[in-house]
Amino acid sequence: MKLHYIFLLVSALFLASCNDDDNISVGFEEPATYSFNRNGESTVSFGGQSDRIAMAEELISEFKNFDGATEQKLLNMFTNTDNPFSNADLNASSKNIKSKTAASKDYFASNTAEAATIKQDFENWISAQVNEVFPAQNTEASQGVAGQIADGTSTRYVSAKGLEYNQAFAKSLIGALMTDQALNNYLSPIVLDESTNVADNDAGTVAEGKNYTTMEHKWDEAYGYIYGASQDKANPNATIGSDDSFLNKYIGKVNGDEDFAGIADNIFNAFKKGRAAIVAKQYDVRDQQAAIIRENVSKAIGVRAVHYLQAGKTASEMGGKFHDLSEGFGFVYSLQFTRVPNTNQPYFTNVEVDQMLSELMANGGFWTVSDETIDSISEEIANKFGFSVSEAAN
Amino acid sequence: MKSFYFILFASVILFACSSDEGGGTTIPTDTFDRTAMLTHWANDIIKPNYVSMSTKSQHLQGKINVFTQDPKPINLVAVRSSFKDAYKQFQHVSMFEIGKAEELRLRNNVNTYPTDVAGIKANIENGSVNLNLSSEIDTQGFPAIEYLLYGVGSTDDEIIAFYTTHANATKNKAYLNQLGTRLHSLINEVNQDWQGNYANTFIANSGTSASSSVNKIANDYMFYYEKALRAGKVGIPAGVFSNEPLPNHVECLYEGASGRDMLLEALTASKDFFNGSGGLSFAGYLNHLDVKRNGKSLATIINNQFDVATTQIKTLPNSLKTEVENNNTNMLTTYDELQKNVVYLKVDMMQALNISIDYVDADGD
Repeated sequence: MKLHYIFLLVSALFLASCNDDDNISVGFEEPATYSFNRNGESTVSFGGQSDRIAMAEELISEFKNFDGATEQKLLNMFTNTDNPFSNADLNASSKNIKSKTAASKDYFASNTAEAATIKQDFENWISAQVNEVFPAQNTEASQGVAGQIADGTSTRYVSAKGLEYNQAFAKSLIGALMTDQALNNYLSPIVLDESTNVADNDAGTVAEGKNYTTMEHKWDEAYGYIYGASQDKANPNATIGSDDSFLNKYIGKVNGDEDFAGIADNIFNAFKKGRAAIVAKQYDVRDQQAAIIRENVSKAIGVRAVHYLQAGKTASEMGGKFHDLSEGFGFVYSLQFTRVPNTNQPYFTNVEVDQMLSELMANGGFWTVSDETIDSISEEIANKFGFSVSEAAN
Repeated sequence: MKSFYFILFASVILFACSSDEGGGTTIPTDTFDRTAMLTHWANDIIKPNYVSMSTKSQHLQGKINVFTQDPKPINLVAVRSSFKDAYKQFQHVSMFEIGKAEELRLRNNVNTYPTDVAGIKANIENGSVNLNLSSEIDTQGFPAIEYLLYGVGSTDDEIIAFYTTHANATKNKAYLNQLGTRLHSLINEVNQDWQGNYANTFIANSGTSASSSVNKIANDYMFYYEKALRAGKVGIPAGVFSNEPLPNHVECLYEGASGRDMLLEALTASKDFFNGSGGLSFAGYLNHLDVKRNGKSLATIINNQFDVATTQIKTLPNSLKTEVENNNTNMLTTYDELQKNVVYLKVDMMQALNISIDYVDADGD
């Protein structure tokens, strides 16, 4: 083992970051798009995030591969074991989904017992899909009986309580992977300022063998969880909503609701400004942008949770109702990974989320859940975020 | 390969006015007597612990010798007892990876686990191996000796047969002896260095630079607590850093009954060093600076957390492997309690003492 000792002699460093209020906001350059360079080369990098989004896409589509999928194959896709993907690059990747699920520094570094339970939930949905739903592919679903049910011209495959496990998995992953990693890990000062990151960024010292400082890279990794599959990764809002099945997609959907129009720009602009602030070494500005991102991404999840619960309530047939409520289930699950800006808390805790989900799934589950229950959960969520149920519902 | 970035701030002046960052730790000025603390550490804690360590490793070497000359049950009992005694004492010196110990990479050489059974077998077969090679850290030290004393058969008779009637018995005995000799020689080299001139060098290096003794010990202590204790003994086997738990990565895998005790011993040693065993210490330093976290003494917060973790560890069974396999949530809870002090020590304490962390977490992507 070889040790490299790099001695950086900073002979006199004066840090004077006193008042947030009289922000002597020294102007800094902000590019038109999310493109940043050093010595003529891009410093933006988030390949690991693009990989994980691509892995998650293959995994959720495999959920409905009745003839080809096995429990083991799906579990292997979750951990990237034994070359489970059709895309060879993903098999060769050192990344996997599970290790970053419920794994943020802020929420789970000293909460690994809860993290393990959450990871187990995802594996349980995989197992239940294969063991309960696959054998019932050609069974007519009814209360207490897993099987298929019509949703217009589509066919939905649901559990004995009406839950589509693929929807539960996909929508919960938006919280547990993308949101948790972006909001509670990479945008956190604990991660951005870890070790010598600030001194390195101040001095323009790049990470070993890279063109970026570690702090720049951490910020980019948060960005990658939202825009990692975008067609134009420097200008992702051109196609927001149509680039993945996860956070990007639903930020796009919320942005399309006129009550929340502009949310996509708010999020993107905060990412861009925060990244420029890192280059300009203005960490207060950086953290203000992180707060904007945390608030708006969290809100998008809250809006979609209420939206699907309400859609499920008003759906005219059971198949459509179950599909909407299954999506709602996942977004409610994701609420525990949201982040109230300037706190270390989600909008709803793990315990509160479990309570809401158990109300939805009580007795016959979606077969029997009452409109009152759906409304009271919807109100609770909407009130916490400060929008109205009707704004989210349409 | 590891990279250590030492950032040397020759003169850093921090005007950290807003106290709502970093959990609200307040940092006053520093007139603490570092020399007196280093003297206490060297003379009253580190040196006596190394004397004891060296006595015990020498004893172990002797008992290995007796056992291999006459492999019978009573000698097996004796060598095992001596092994556990020495291994326990190692939990009290492992954190002091400075000076000769750092140069010899003592912890890697004497306590890398899981041990490489296939590598041990190959070394025995070959009849000669250079244990100085860095590729051999997992075929020697306490875990390899443990395997040879507990893991080469499923009963004591089978284990004794490994050194008597086994076709390779002579080579088996030779390897066990080689490991005993090597272990003691490494430990004794460190001990001799402390008893000789190194203690003075250590004490004299009383400044506040990154290479000063206080800063280095603080980093060694933190690295040990975070990587060797929290991660090595609990987090890695509990699967915190992998997708599945790794029950075979526990300390005392083959001996099977002392994993919890070793963990407890290590945590007690960490807490004792934090409090200075009756003398100057990190805790005293923090109190001298009147460091508070959210209005409460940081030293008290850290001690309380040590106590919570200790209580939690006591809920574990003797065999940590069993716990990982049957009740891993309890292992994870133990990890969580240990992790909480990483934050208090690594962020709050280090910031208050104005010490930069000289190692990086390698969990990026």
